[in-house]
Amino acid sequence: MESERFSHHISRRFNEELEHLRGEVLRMGGMVEQHLDVAVQSLVTGDSEMGLRIAGEDYKINRMEVAIDEECTKILATRSPTAADLRLVVAIIKTITDLERIGDEGRKLAMLSANLAAQKREHDEYHELELLATHVQEMVRDALDAFSRLDAEDALAVVEEDKLVDEQYDAVTRQCITLMMEDPRTIRRFLDVSWAARALERIGDHAKNIAEYVVYLVHGKDIRHVGIQTVRQEIGSG
Amino acid sequence: MPPAFTSELLRLAGLLVAGAFIGWLYDATALGMLVAALGVLAWHLWNLYRLDLWLRTGELDVVPDGGGAWPPLFARIEYIREKSRRRRKRWRQLVKELRASAGAFPDGGVLLDAGRGIITYNAAAQRLLGLRRNRDRGQRIDNLLRHPDFVAYLESGDYRDPVEIPGPAGGDTWLSCLLIPYGPAQNLLLVRDITANVRLERTRRDFVANASHELRTPLTVISGYLDAMGDDPEAPGGWRMPVSEMRTQAHRMGHLLDDLLQLSRLESGAPCSLDNAVDMAAIAQSARREALAMREHPDRVEVEIGSTTRVLGEQGELHSIVSNLVSNAVRYTPREGSIRIAWTVDADGGHLAVTDTGIGIAEDDIPRVTERFYRTDRGRARQKGGTGLGLAIVKHALRRHEAELEIRSRLGEGSTFTCHFPPHRLAVS
Repeated sequence: MESERFSHHISRRFNEELEHLRGEVLRMGGMVEQHLDVAVQSLVTGDSEMGLRIAGEDYKINRMEVAIDEECTKILATRSPTAADLRLVVAIIKTITDLERIGDEGRKLAMLSANLAAQKREHDEYHELELLATHVQEMVRDALDAFSRLDAEDALAVVEEDKLVDEQYDAVTRQCITLMMEDPRTIRRFLDVSWAARALERIGDHAKNIAEYVVYLVHGKDIRHVGIQTVRQEIGSG
Repeated sequence: MPPAFTSELLRLAGLLVAGAFIGWLYDATALGMLVAALGVLAWHLWNLYRLDLWLRTGELDVVPDGGGAWPPLFARIEYIREKSRRRRKRWRQLVKELRASAGAFPDGGVLLDAGRGIITYNAAAQRLLGLRRNRDRGQRIDNLLRHPDFVAYLESGDYRDPVEIPGPAGGDTWLSCLLIPYGPAQNLLLVRDITANVRLERTRRDFVANASHELRTPLTVISGYLDAMGDDPEAPGGWRMPVSEMRTQAHRMGHLLDDLLQLSRLESGAPCSLDNAVDMAAIAQSARREALAMREHPDRVEVEIGSTTRVLGEQGELHSIVSNLVSNAVRYTPREGSIRIAWTVDADGGHLAVTDTGIGIAEDDIPRVTERFYRTDRGRARQKGGTGLGLAIVKHALRRHEAELEIRSRLGEGSTFTCHFPPHRLAVS
């Protein structure tokens, strides 16, 4: 249904190019999701081999970013898209940057997971971190789903989720500080935990950015740095 | 000609004659005929208009009765309409039932068009894939189901075996997806929830790994004491035999635990990395030395190296593959037989073949010999000292290298075990 938005061109090739581009972005998103999932799994199960392996595959994501970027430039140069098509290409260029950053943070997380897996730990100590990880993974998934369905409502829901992630991040940090003060020998380990939480929080921010590009793509409104209430009103009236 | 039309023609003729007669009375025959003809035309137009109205609004109470040739025509149209209405109702009923049965299906089903767009899906698919009720039609399936393994599966064009991916809803769910092409360009995607199987398999694997690990510590203690007792010159003579036998068995148990641990490690692993290039020639040579070091071995153990190409993978696992195959060959080949280890490379990839002239394997047993603890002849393998896990280890280690094991054998003549490594697993030199 949504693809009909782009199907009014006289040139069928152009439609195909745009659809292909969208597919490629989501394919890149799928890979980012998988890497993130493996990194989190490695953290949860304490499997350092898994973490290191996925950290070494980050180059695939980077390669996809470069390829999509190139394709966008080509479309801009040869087709001079306007209106919704232009917004699509612009949104894609921004989205892949954020996806690549998520990939980077995922790589960081995987390295930290491998690090943490190698150290002794009490049972359930990383429970809070796992909750944060699950939440962030959901955000990334929902942001990409919103991009795939071109659903601005879903995208706005993701933007709102980011606040919760920030709160969870604060909670993990506080917990880390408490545990570090209780037993200074654990400082090293909990520094890693806090870095991992930081990486997850950043991933949440990037997911939020992607969701914002979806709103821009659908409604043509830039909602960055604008209150969510204002955005809803504007979209409602626009 | 239907009687309605005959009477219609007669009526037209009658009216024309009447018109002509009345016109003749007023001395305007042609005008009279024209008026009559126009009257007939107007009446037909009126009926045509009513027919159009009736067909458009479709209301039964305006069924025009008309006259002349019209009533049978209306009746005929009404009959056809009624028939198609009934047929449509039947179809609708059928579709409803089909949809209800598809909805009751425990497995998810998604119909896809040629461009991988979603045509329709059932309730289970909606639940398993996180699709939204009626709102995801027309979306491309690979835009919503983005796991790289699934995308690669769609692009592979080989849909014989299902692909297993984590559920998009997260939370440690697993799905098995099978694409079934049908019709000219349509596909049915079957999605099955295999979370329970995956968890069960994981539990089993963990159990085996943990049990083997836990058993090792006590076994080490037992072996230690047995070694001490065996070496003790003051031990009573009657104990020598039982202690020596216990040592052998403890040794064997240690091997078994090692193999079980190795197997559970291999089973859980994804394809291993492409970072290391392993020299197969060196591995073949070392397997030969191991074979010659065994207590009983055939006279001839040959190594044939047809290529210096290296394999990308794990040194330890590749070594374990070759040494397991060779030690199997040694175990089942008589002293006067021979064993040949060959490493060759061609366009299809690398091939490592271990050929023996041993007892061979019956055809029925060939597909099963890589199963854990499968023995073609109970008792014999135990005598020969194998753990029954060698070929299972080979199979899983090969899977980690994306390679396949081919077994050719004939009873009494010998066997050939060939490992086929795909070209992308070979180091370009």
